[in-house]
Amino acid sequence: MKKPHQDEELARQAKELFDDSVERLDAATLSRLNRSRHEALAEIERSKSVGHWARWVPATGVAAAAVVAVVVWQGVPVEGPLPSAGPVTDFEILIGEDSLEMLEDLEFYSWIEPSDLQTDGNVG
Amino acid sequence: MSACAGVFAVSCSREQSKGATTLQRERQLNQFLAGVERRALRFAEIAVRDRDEALDLVQDAMIKLARNYAEQPEDEWTPLFFRILQNGIRDWYRRQMVRNRVMVWFGRGTNADNDYDPVAQAPDPAGRGPDDQAQTDEAMQELESAVGRLPARQREAFMLRTFEGLDVAGTAVAMGCSQGSVKTHYSRAVHSLRDALGEHWQ
Repeated sequence: MKKPHQDEELARQAKELFDDSVERLDAATLSRLNRSRHEALAEIERSKSVGHWARWVPATGVAAAAVVAVVVWQGVPVEGPLPSAGPVTDFEILIGEDSLEMLEDLEFYSWIEPSDLQTDGNVG
Repeated sequence: MSACAGVFAVSCSREQSKGATTLQRERQLNQFLAGVERRALRFAEIAVRDRDEALDLVQDAMIKLARNYAEQPEDEWTPLFFRILQNGIRDWYRRQMVRNRVMVWFGRGTNADNDYDPVAQAPDPAGRGPDDQAQTDEAMQELESAVGRLPARQREAFMLRTFEGLDVAGTAVAMGCSQGSVKTHYSRAVHSLRDALGEHWQ
């Protein structure tokens, strides 16, 4: 039957040897450990900056989903937009009887416009 | 206008205090890692029996601790760090197993690691003579070899309790198991080591 103090003695000896091997690590290894530590510390800054943007990712996602939902809910128009009132009115004027007469007397109207101007000028 | 300036000033002072806290935390983490890195390296090296692999494992553990647990209370860092390291070592073993199977499939054997001697070339800082140093090296090799032959959970319990000096609760956190399991694994590990190391250690 082994006594508990023998277990303790084994643990003590093992720890002593382990500590000794830790103390005897060479300079190149210590330098690599040092570099690793600094890379790890730089990771804090990196994760912070990523975290800053990452905070907006869910909000942006929700906003994009909301926009998509509204577009789907409103429904995409199957046909193009209705023609505006302007062109229809012009067309009606053009096909009206009066306008045809006006087209026939186009020479008269083009003559009367400069003569009006001359008359105005004489009056003035 | 003055209200805006007030809000801006409060915001600035908050940012400054946040920055100071982060800086202080970084300093604490640096101190912690500087204190634990050598032991962690030897810990990993005994487990995987390769210094370069051990350095990679320690670096990964440091980065993961800094990235994910820097905000945790400082007294939780030790068990967390060794838990991360321990998980890395387990993953390493899994990868090795897969690699070895592939090697066997292609008819190539695995490298024997019996001639591994991680500290033999290092100078002795205590200034001991070559004979004393050789004796210590031999004892350490015996210990490493015996610890390396332990089942994984026993090895973890023994190394965390003995080498790192973690208590049962801390070891349980690091191993991700109950305190009762830690006691059982540790007791079995010590028993196995006593049998393996024999009269040299009694």
